[in-house]
Amino acid sequence: MVFIPALWPTGINYRKVGEKPFILEEDFCPRTAHRHGNHTAPPLTACEAGNVGNATPYRAVDRRRMLAAAALGREVAPLEPAPGDVAPYGTVRGSIIDVSPHLIVVEDDAGEEHRLVIAPWATAWRGAPIAPAELPLRANVIIRALHGGTVADRVWADITRITGTIRSVSGNRDLTIELDCGPHRRPRSVVVPYRATGRIRVRHPQLEPGYLFDAIGMIDEGTTLALLPATSQPPYRANAVPPPPPAYRGVQPTISGTAVWGDFEEYGVAYPMLEPGDAGCEDAGVSCTGLPYLSLGSVLHVLNECDRRGNRLPIVACGCVAGRFCDRCLECGTSERGRIVELSTTAYVELGGELTKGCFNVRVGLG
Amino acid sequence: MLVLGGVAKLAAGDSAPGALARLGPAVLVPERFARPAMICCAAGEFALAAALVFADHPAARWLPVVFFSIATYVLWDLRKRRPDAGCGCFGDVSVAPVGLRSIARSAVLTAMAVLVALERVTGADLPALWSGTVAAWIAGYAALLLLLSPEVEELIDRVRYRAPCEQRRIPPGRALSRLKASAAWRAHRPMLAAEEPSDMWRELCWRFFTFPAKDGSEVVFAVYLSGRRPAVKAAVVPPDGAPAIADDSRVPISR
Repeated sequence: MVFIPALWPTGINYRKVGEKPFILEEDFCPRTAHRHGNHTAPPLTACEAGNVGNATPYRAVDRRRMLAAAALGREVAPLEPAPGDVAPYGTVRGSIIDVSPHLIVVEDDAGEEHRLVIAPWATAWRGAPIAPAELPLRANVIIRALHGGTVADRVWADITRITGTIRSVSGNRDLTIELDCGPHRRPRSVVVPYRATGRIRVRHPQLEPGYLFDAIGMIDEGTTLALLPATSQPPYRANAVPPPPPAYRGVQPTISGTAVWGDFEEYGVAYPMLEPGDAGCEDAGVSCTGLPYLSLGSVLHVLNECDRRGNRLPIVACGCVAGRFCDRCLECGTSERGRIVELSTTAYVELGGELTKGCFNVRVGLG
Repeated sequence: MLVLGGVAKLAAGDSAPGALARLGPAVLVPERFARPAMICCAAGEFALAAALVFADHPAARWLPVVFFSIATYVLWDLRKRRPDAGCGCFGDVSVAPVGLRSIARSAVLTAMAVLVALERVTGADLPALWSGTVAAWIAGYAALLLLLSPEVEELIDRVRYRAPCEQRRIPPGRALSRLKASAAWRAHRPMLAAEEPSDMWRELCWRFFTFPAKDGSEVVFAVYLSGRRPAVKAAVVPPDGAPAIADDSRVPISR
């Protein structure tokens, strides 16, 4: 079966910092649902069609790859799994139009309808594990699909992840936490319902301004609820990340660590070690593992060490918030310390990650 | 020596929170007193140093003897009881476990303190007694102390460490000036439409600059970021895709 690589947006969203003439602010197109294993590539949306004509070619992700390969005299590897990787899952993302015990119909952002058969072993999550037939209509879902995108294996509805630095905490029973989610995402206000405060407080002993917070939750009628702690809170403040250990022996070809997912639109990964001038982000370049410097547009080969699914994904965002965490993932054995990549939701599900678990052990190399 | 030791102990107090627990006298006292113990030790050393230089009193001369002999005993005890702990004599540079060298250094300092006490001189007398032989003796003792100090090797290692090029933050200005001084730039300059790059990014040890060319294509330069005269490579890429010319065959790679 030919693997058709998914479309990613044709422009990059840079932040303008100071006077840097080669960094521009550009529109990008929202990620559309797609199917893997299908022989037809999805059509361009109106946004993407408009951008192809207007986008100056040297700003695009794949343009940078091609220029770099041309300058160094090497081949451009296609954006597909490396030989030896297990093929990634298919995903479908959209809102539910109709659901029954055996069938689910989803409409994606492009208006296209996808009909999936719900597998007998399929489970769904919306705040808590529920039966797929009980999912509400018009819920935003991500479906992990098998057999060419026709059989739903796992469904997550209205799921979101909140990662950032705590600005304020208030409330007695239900907590309300204001978070600063980094320079690239807007600040968020999160409600921790009383039934989840025990879990959240146990894993976040310092719910105070200046400390980091990471939780998985759901969006219920416009309110973001934090329900599951994603990790143990780091003991240091957000601006006091420990430096990486010195690399006396030279660099390795692949790096092991933790991969997490983040709630951002572009398809790809967010990487913490970018030069601040290149990424337009003053907080970039912070990590507690010894990561090499790369830039937006570089392609990483990301391998899920738990089930050996791998894929080549472009760096599309600055992972300055993810780089401040120094935790391990316990999905299959204990991983090395440090968050190496933060995957977008779709990319994470495709590599076999479980959204409610929040991380998987990963090995990353330059693709 | 006393002043150096005091300063280094105080400086170590600011470093990583667990580090103090592994050093010298702090290891022998309960954990709550580790930091105050180091600070007391440092303060005591400053006081003794001041007393040696300025005070002309037998107590001022015999107190360092007492201090150094206690220190020798403490180190010997430390070596027996906690073989993995460093002596902490000079803060966190002294993380190497206590060996015979550290103990010997402490014993030599004790002997020197005894000599100073028996001779009944102070630091203030030193300029008057200065002569060639005195200078030679001082140099000899200093060399002996350096020889007995394991901290010197640790300091040299720290100064020589350099992160590999991929993990070092390197600002783009130097790469740009290296590019403009290279042969590849001189060869491609006539075809460029602008002197400033339209895009630049970094991958591992290479930094890439893209310039628009007059005919609508783009010229991309790759500059290596390490070394004294790093390599510069160039390619001309038309707007639709496949590079027409990989120019390192025509232009020699600048070294």
